[in-house]
Amino acid sequence: MSESTPTAAETRRIAEVARDRVRFEEEALELSDQVFRVARRLTGSREEAEDLVQDTYARAFRAWQQYQPGTNLRAWLLRILTNLNIDRGRRAQRSPDLQPLEEGDYFLYNKLESTMPDENPDEERVIERLSQNSVVDALADVPHDFRDAIVLVDIGEFSYADAAQILDVPIGTIMSRLHRGRRILKQRLAELAVTG
Amino acid sequence: MGCGCTDCEAMMQPYLDGMLSDSEVVEAREHLERCPPCEKRFRFEERLRHFVRVAVDEPMPAGLRDKLAGLRSTAPPA
Repeated sequence: MSESTPTAAETRRIAEVARDRVRFEEEALELSDQVFRVARRLTGSREEAEDLVQDTYARAFRAWQQYQPGTNLRAWLLRILTNLNIDRGRRAQRSPDLQPLEEGDYFLYNKLESTMPDENPDEERVIERLSQNSVVDALADVPHDFRDAIVLVDIGEFSYADAAQILDVPIGTIMSRLHRGRRILKQRLAELAVTG
Repeated sequence: MGCGCTDCEAMMQPYLDGMLSDSEVVEAREHLERCPPCEKRFRFEERLRHFVRVAVDEPMPAGLRDKLAGLRSTAPPA
């Protein structure tokens, strides 16, 4: 038997790897819709999100063997995506403490309720004071670090642990960014609702 | 505002995120039962989170999935 002829075991192994790779690619593609939805809110435009998702998949398909089967593939893809996003210089815009002290958690409700004629309105009616566009604008106005946490947890529905891993920060940081980020978002929503 | 209790307001996010201990949850629920203004603000927050998620939702552009499939190294099954 010549050395260049693969053994049966080797042939089987090559076939297994090929099968794993096909499966990986299919599973990743299945998630593309969810990955895009998150990417869209991490970036400033639809085009930017589209580019970023394509770069993410190109890299994921190359690095597929680094993915540990059985772990959260969506989180793994988002980790690649957020790293690429940072590489693109998005972090050039820092978001330090130039935020004013944010208001408390009841601020938005109280503000909206105060613009309504009824004495004790149903919370559903209060929500109706907000427009879809105002939410999109308000979220875009939240500084990046806080927005990333909101996008991953509240929109992408990642756990704190997954969000921490994706952004490569401790869980406590996710919690505090989420806490502050939601308050900043609500404050901005209140401003937009009041100015129309 | 509400009942004027700041404890409640501070508890809102951890409560809705399921981050409180069992005994804290019991305490929170007991308070909310006695305090309709806080309870309403908690319900508002829950709905707001849902509203935000739905409001910012933007489906994947048509054609992107095909572009991504084109990046595959392996041929899709015939």
